[in-house]
Amino acid sequence: MRPRFVILLVAVTALLAIVPIVGSPVMVQFGISTLLFAVLAQSWNIIGGFTGYPSFGNSVFYGLGVYGTAIAMAKFSLPFGVGLVCGAILAMLCALLIGLPVLRLRGQYFAIATLGLSVAMAAVFSNIEIAGANIGLILPLTRADGMFYELSLGLLVACVLCVFWISRSRFGMGLIAIREDEHAAASMGVNTTLYKTMALVLSALFTSIAGGIHAYFITFVDPASAFDSTLNVRMVIMTVFGGPGTVLGPVVGAFVLSAVYELLANWISTAAALLFGVVIVVAVIFMPRGIADLAAGIRRQGISYLLQNIRRYRL
Amino acid sequence: MNASSITSPATGMAPLLQTQDITKRFQGLVSVNHVSFDLNDGEILALIGPNGAGKTTLVNLISGTLPPSEGELRFQGTRIDTLPTYRRARLGIARTFQVMKPFRDLTALDNVATAALFGQRGGATTRQAAREDARKWLDFTGLGHRADQRADALGGPDLKRLELAKALAQRPKLLLLDEVMAGLNAVEIDEVVEVIKQIRDSGVTILIVEHVMKAVRSLADRVVVLHHGELIAQGNAETVFQDPRVVEAYLGKRRA
Repeated sequence: MRPRFVILLVAVTALLAIVPIVGSPVMVQFGISTLLFAVLAQSWNIIGGFTGYPSFGNSVFYGLGVYGTAIAMAKFSLPFGVGLVCGAILAMLCALLIGLPVLRLRGQYFAIATLGLSVAMAAVFSNIEIAGANIGLILPLTRADGMFYELSLGLLVACVLCVFWISRSRFGMGLIAIREDEHAAASMGVNTTLYKTMALVLSALFTSIAGGIHAYFITFVDPASAFDSTLNVRMVIMTVFGGPGTVLGPVVGAFVLSAVYELLANWISTAAALLFGVVIVVAVIFMPRGIADLAAGIRRQGISYLLQNIRRYRL
Repeated sequence: MNASSITSPATGMAPLLQTQDITKRFQGLVSVNHVSFDLNDGEILALIGPNGAGKTTLVNLISGTLPPSEGELRFQGTRIDTLPTYRRARLGIARTFQVMKPFRDLTALDNVATAALFGQRGGATTRQAAREDARKWLDFTGLGHRADQRADALGGPDLKRLELAKALAQRPKLLLLDEVMAGLNAVEIDEVVEVIKQIRDSGVTILIVEHVMKAVRSLADRVVVLHHGELIAQGNAETVFQDPRVVEAYLGKRRA
């Protein structure tokens, strides 16, 4: 990576870091949810973008992060940090346990199996007494939006650095080989089962911490919102919009789509969801490989890149 | 022939690969039926037979893509038939796929670099070293000028070369080549034959599955013929081609 680009990234991060000092409370709250979305998209990118396994189980990891933190804090009066660790361990164990059987499935079968899991989890947690059953749990109230913001930013930086390492490492090349052709990957010596499981566990780690932070931030959790599969859909959309299998694509995708949605909601609140859908459809038609590829494509061949995509993908 | 003997009588050397009564059944269909042969260190063995004889299945059994129903495989004297595919690759078994499996989203260079990062133990450990390695193998297989193109931009003959370069980048002891010449023209076939000879001369043992008989004649030290999953003949090319059972397998029974 060029030094100038690194300096730019550091500068952007520094700018983001001072938002709680200079920005309005509304902006900080918008920032927290956007940063957490970026973490979720980037985490999904590890299993979906690099490894090529379209997971709909990431909302399970999110929910386990939410509940791990909530139970530790509300039921055992443990500190927030311990709660996050509990949530992360729970989610990573879950990734390990479901990964071994479910990662044997591919493509749409994998997607359906993981989707089923997230529906089942909501039902399971509705019946666990210690998790507040279907009523939910209330966490201690903290007025520290600045802290939540900086934590979210720190988590995003850690997550991006991790994906950057993946993109450069032997491990990452193995994941990409699995995405491109699993038989060929195995026959050249990639331990596919181990690699896929590790990718899912890493994805679960960051996803669950984001869940834990969000749980403490909103101070209330219930099964329906903790295991919400539409959250998983948003992770997929943001990653695909930004550029799956790239280091910065999912982050840019999360930032842009969060901003677009916020602007639409302010401008015309009733039709925001509809217009948001239109934005996505148009994006998929003109830039099916995401913003990351769009940037390179426009530089290479100008505006005809957009039209060429339509031809290339036979839309 | 006593397949379990450690030294083969022909060369006095330990065989690199031994297959003993290897069998593969798909439900009712027996695709490979009690096949036993040895592959000696440093030789080129051609596996031939009509379509559907079980050649690719046998390659899949050796590489680990399919588990055998019965029988044993030994590589350098140790059982490998229960090892997963990636472990066999790390022992030094590399293969090409008849239905080519390029990593379409990656450049030709990164396709081969990935193979260099994995493959047999003890190769490149950094991506930089792997790419340098990869460039060498692309040059060797005549694909150097297309190193930076994405694999989905390559045509059939170039994809065959890419398969070969990927297999070589794994630094194999045993190379399984599944119809690398299919679809190539006469000039391209001669080029690939030369490349394969050079690979053999560098000390790699090679099993080729091939329909191009000219290539089989000029390359193979020995030929094994499969028909309906059974080994019907083996020996040097000239003897095997004159074997009545082989002629019958290819041309059908002569009716008087």
